[in-house]
Amino acid sequence: MSTPGNTGGQQPSPPTGQTSAQAAGSIRDRLSSPRTSDQASGPGDTRTSDLHENGFQQTDSAAALQGHGRGESQYDSSSPPVATEELAGRKHPLGPEDAKAAERKVAALFLLSFLGVVGFVATFFLVPHEYTSSTRYLYTPLLGTFMALALGGVGAGAVLWAKLLMVDEEAVQERHPFGSDKDERGATAEALKKGLEETGIARRSLLRNTVLLGAGSLALLPVPFLFGLGPYQHKERVLATTAWKKGVRLIRQNGTPVRLGDLSIGSIESVFPDVEHGTKIADSPTLLIRMRPEELQVVEGREDWSIDGHIAYSSVCTHLGCPVKLYEQQTHHLFCPCHQSTFAANDGCKVVFGPAARPLPQLAISLDDEGYFVAQGDYSEAVGPSYWERDT
Amino acid sequence: MSLLSKGTDAGAVWVDDRLGSSNFVRRSLNKVFPDHWSFMLGEIALFTFIILLLTGTYLSFFYTPSLTEVVYDGSYVPLKGVTMSQAYASTLDISFDVRGGLIMRQIHHWAALLFMASIVVHLMRVYFTGAFRKPRELNWIIGVALLVLGIAEGFAGYSLPDDLLSGTGARIAYSIALSIPVVGTWTAFLVFGGEYPGVAILDRLYSAHILLLPGLILGLITFHMMMIWYQKHTQFAGPGRTEDNVVGSRLFPTYAAKAGGFFMLVFAVLAALGGLAQINPIWLYGPYDASQVSAGSQPDWYVGFLDGSTRLMPNWEIAGFGYTVPLNVMIPTVVLPGILFTLLALYPFLEARFTGDRDYHNLLDRPRDVPVRTAIGAMSITFYLVLMIAGGNDVIASVFHLDIISMSWVLRVSLFVLPPVAYFVTKRACLALQRSDDELVHHGIESGTIRRLPNGEFVEETVPLPAVYRIALTGVESDRPQLEGATAHGEEGKPKGPGYGDQHVVEGAPERVPGFFRAKRRSGPSDTSAPRPEAAMPELERSGKPAPPEQ
Repeated sequence: MSTPGNTGGQQPSPPTGQTSAQAAGSIRDRLSSPRTSDQASGPGDTRTSDLHENGFQQTDSAAALQGHGRGESQYDSSSPPVATEELAGRKHPLGPEDAKAAERKVAALFLLSFLGVVGFVATFFLVPHEYTSSTRYLYTPLLGTFMALALGGVGAGAVLWAKLLMVDEEAVQERHPFGSDKDERGATAEALKKGLEETGIARRSLLRNTVLLGAGSLALLPVPFLFGLGPYQHKERVLATTAWKKGVRLIRQNGTPVRLGDLSIGSIESVFPDVEHGTKIADSPTLLIRMRPEELQVVEGREDWSIDGHIAYSSVCTHLGCPVKLYEQQTHHLFCPCHQSTFAANDGCKVVFGPAARPLPQLAISLDDEGYFVAQGDYSEAVGPSYWERDT
Repeated sequence: MSLLSKGTDAGAVWVDDRLGSSNFVRRSLNKVFPDHWSFMLGEIALFTFIILLLTGTYLSFFYTPSLTEVVYDGSYVPLKGVTMSQAYASTLDISFDVRGGLIMRQIHHWAALLFMASIVVHLMRVYFTGAFRKPRELNWIIGVALLVLGIAEGFAGYSLPDDLLSGTGARIAYSIALSIPVVGTWTAFLVFGGEYPGVAILDRLYSAHILLLPGLILGLITFHMMMIWYQKHTQFAGPGRTEDNVVGSRLFPTYAAKAGGFFMLVFAVLAALGGLAQINPIWLYGPYDASQVSAGSQPDWYVGFLDGSTRLMPNWEIAGFGYTVPLNVMIPTVVLPGILFTLLALYPFLEARFTGDRDYHNLLDRPRDVPVRTAIGAMSITFYLVLMIAGGNDVIASVFHLDIISMSWVLRVSLFVLPPVAYFVTKRACLALQRSDDELVHHGIESGTIRRLPNGEFVEETVPLPAVYRIALTGVESDRPQLEGATAHGEEGKPKGPGYGDQHVVEGAPERVPGFFRAKRRSGPSDTSAPRPEAAMPELERSGKPAPPEQ
């Protein structure tokens, strides 16, 4: 415990470069004190002021600040817009011993960088990277480590150099006003007006109107190119139809057709139309689900769309077109992994939860003569996400 | 040394003979940049963009933007013989057959994530410190444009490998375009060259990703930097720092060495990430297949908030008269971002309109000094974070064994309840912090020394706040009209500044900033209570700094 008398005069040291409030005050004094040397060497030439930094006068700040600070208008156009910097710093803070140590530290970092480059080059060319080689797991991590060393060494070295060994200065630069003065603005406006006057656009109405028409219509030039980006297509026909047709077989992704009895109860199969590139057509993937016939609540009017508990739905989500593939056997819920729309497969694929607004469309299926599943026709409504022209 | 000096001389003369650039170069070398850790955030964005250009150029030498089908015959054994697009095959080649290709790809992806992250954090810095105020509104708008372009650029790049995840992302983008009323179908068809997937989208995304969008971003960044250069950087209040000057280190050598070193450090961190932390292992996802998707598919983080809004949206859809308006898609993915980014871009003008503040501002605000702005910011961040969490709700639900339906409901409610709570809490916190500042400025720092007064009362002594801190806390008259003949910084004579009540406002002078936005420092009970003991202490008055007067 110090005595009260002492604490009254003590100042806690701030963590900045200044050691006390007095020091901070004096820096400000130095910043604001008028300096004949700078003015003599002209605006912009500030390097010379380094030499004079000990010549800063410790003036009483009040008067100096008053003449220098906001008392003058910030946007006083009489002050030259050229930068006039003043130095208020000092030489780097380290003594010769410490400076030597700091120099060694920085040099060590630069050396580390060199080693990183050597390591990187050696790894790049000498370590086998092929998938079959046993070192493939090391290749990229080693490259990354050496690259980080190479770049980080130079980076840390440069920052340390700047922080420890360069002049720790607090340079000050005046801001120049942005707005021009009234006369300047007026003159500019006048020049513009005069130019317009010389064109005579106000008088020559024929020219004015035709140039507006001609130049304005130029905006239409890119429009045909825009329309050339895509072929003209009948929206309804393209978006509302899929590759499914009457009698087209349901095939698996590997091309084999699905027959009655292939699916066990509670299982699910992705099926595609048996047409050319059928497994690649984006709007045609379909899900064939088998459940116990008594679990299936057949939607009215679709009594003959399913066969013996086999029911087929579009797997393109009616929300944003992701494939609905996750099937929960117990609840008969179909789940879209993109935005969690949940559909009740045993109840016409109604939406149970999530952002999808419509049930998954159902594909009417039947069996052909050989016992394979075939479509009775295309989907009765557009599959996938909604669009403006969609007629519900 | 003399050789270096001679060489510099000769070089300067050679260049100046041809360009006459000496004056410009010297002024540039001497240009002063203020120093603060938060000013580095924008630098990170700039540096990562340069790294993106470097790594991206290398990747473009090996990538083929084609949906033409090939049978994979590269060195990645598990996919040998699989039919896939050339785009996917060439991305596999970059990952497995090109020497150093994988690290380039991973640095590129990490850099993209960091680019967007640093833009967002930089934006928050600019927002909370009020750096967007006059005369810097134009640069704010450019920044918002860069944010939007960055999202588009990132999305385009994410779609290029044509793996399972990116193909799903492209399909969602197509469906979003479809959802726009009247022109949506046309837009989707023109962008994709027909019904999804079409054959054109990859070439178009590629040309957008490597030419159109980076060109725009580069141009806007250049303009962004030129404006900073011309208008000079903002600075925080501090000793000697006023609205009329800029205090810091000069461009050459100190600032250049620090910034150049920082670029290398950012690059080093990205190199370490690219080498050691796997990202987007497309070979595990497999080629795109319209009928396949994996659970837990997430977009890159900067699209996450849109994914979240899509997940939380109720399933509304309007249909009638032969037309359909899918509100469940259009509102969260088209309307919401449209409103958010428009409000963001217009914020400087909205705030100026509300406060009536049309002054130039070169000194930054401390967030607590503008409670309403800070609270609006906290509110917006909360809104964004709820959406972001919603974007990963399936992963969170499976990791923490939560029910996804109830979790979605909790998030739906949170989206509307939490932001106002955040607003209220932040505003209160700001006002409380202001009062704590007031306490420091008025009464000084607690010294830990207990003193007994003649009447037997024990009091704790306080030490006046050092000027460095006082100026930082009270600001240097940053935004108030200055009294004629008043001293700056509250240094001598009567102290001035927001910390001292409103003594500096002349009678009849217009209060430029209404209290709503920049709530006046409250004269709380602590200010009006009985005079503090330190006022009676002669030692303190001898310490050079007069004790601030009580209200």
